Amino acid sequence: MAVFADFLPYILSGIVWTLGLVAGGLSIGFVIGLFMAIGQIYGGEEIQAVIHGYVWFFRSIPLLVLLFLFYFGLFPASGYKLDPLACSIVVLGLRSGAYQSQIFRGAIISLGDTQLQAARALGMSRLRGIFHIILPQALRISLPGWSNEYATMIKDSSLTFALGVLEILTRTRYVAMATHEPLVPYFFAGGLFIVLTYGGTKIVNILYERTKIPGLVGKL
Amino acid sequence: MTSSEIVLKVEDVEKGYSDKKVLNGVSFEIDKGQIKVICGSSGSGKSTLLRCLNLLTRPDKGRIWLEGEEITKGLDNVNRVRQKIGFVFQEFNLFNHLTALRNVSIALQVVKKMSKDEAKALAMKELERVNLENEAHKYPAQLSGGQKQRVAIARALAMNPVIMFYDEPTSALDPQLIGEVLDVMKKLAKEKLTSLVVTHEIGFARSVADEILFMGDGKILERGPPNQIIENPAHEDVRQFFRRINELYRREQR
Repeated sequence: MAVFADFLPYILSGIVWTLGLVAGGLSIGFVIGLFMAIGQIYGGEEIQAVIHGYVWFFRSIPLLVLLFLFYFGLFPASGYKLDPLACSIVVLGLRSGAYQSQIFRGAIISLGDTQLQAARALGMSRLRGIFHIILPQALRISLPGWSNEYATMIKDSSLTFALGVLEILTRTRYVAMATHEPLVPYFFAGGLFIVLTYGGTKIVNILYERTKIPGLVGKL
Repeated sequence: MTSSEIVLKVEDVEKGYSDKKVLNGVSFEIDKGQIKVICGSSGSGKSTLLRCLNLLTRPDKGRIWLEGEEITKGLDNVNRVRQKIGFVFQEFNLFNHLTALRNVSIALQVVKKMSKDEAKALAMKELERVNLENEAHKYPAQLSGGQKQRVAIARALAMNPVIMFYDEPTSALDPQLIGEVLDVMKKLAKEKLTSLVVTHEIGFARSVADEILFMGDGKILERGPPNQIIENPAHEDVRQFFRRINELYRREQR
């Protein structure tokens, strides 16, 4: 029976894949979420309806179903060939966009419209006002909610084992099966997720503290 | 007086929300260097009027000219028009994430396309004008209400407007902070900066206004020089309004 320690580097290199999935998913989700939050608040009725449908779709379907739907269904049917990793990042991103849009939306709404009015009164276009005045504040307010989204994403990324993406869980499973010794590897994998979740949210919290607007203590 | 000296001309402006008419045919003009004060009880349409005049709210009917150019024609020019109108809000509406200096300079950079250094230098000058040069690097949440409103005034002045609108600039302030804001406004009035001021500060109106426009029910009920409107108004509503305000002042002074 092989010693677990021999497989340690193999499992540890899954961290890179997990973080890659999370970074990719969060980035795609950030861009989608930001545009959709702005569209939902400032857009016309049609735009709002489309975004509402999008958010509803991705928040209602389990991630595993989405992964299968896109990997086995939608991408092949539309003629695209994506490898499991790329497909997983896209799906995580599309789904995270739905959640992130609601984080940003809440933040923008909490700011009210008085500052945008002031920006418009100075001759700024609405888009400039949103970019220079609203977003810098809304993103700060979003950080606590966003650290939740990071924690969720770290854990959800493990579901991509179903497509064979070589992240932490997939590798752990291989080790558990090869060694016929599941307890230690799965415990170890759980520990890795704890460290990644804790470390990431810690970094976001530090960012939140660093970017706090002076004087606005407790109001943000 | 030639027509070229008219800065703002308002003709028969109307505005309604659902079934309620807030503005019901308002007309007046302001010449260069004039200060006009708008009074009236709450709900009389004063704030709506100001917002219509810089197109933050779209009037239903009527025409508005700024420096002889009709601004109610198309609405593609709103961003250009608003640069020429300084707007001071009741609740200051400062940008909370920016220092006082950046609050004043940001539109200079974003709208007027000045360089960062140029914008900063001008912003500092405007802050000096409202006696806030020492608070330039503080954030709005670190300033008092009076200081916030003076930053807001500096922010509007920096755009070099042809006219200033003040929408009850002292109504959100503690009594002891009103004076510093009024002093700045008086100073600007003495510099002959054309202004339209919605306020209930009678002392201010008396000392700097060329004319008081008294609004009620979405119309100008009565207009004239401050002393005449305050002391001897013709309209019963106006008389009652100033009687009540005078009583309030006397009680405060006691």
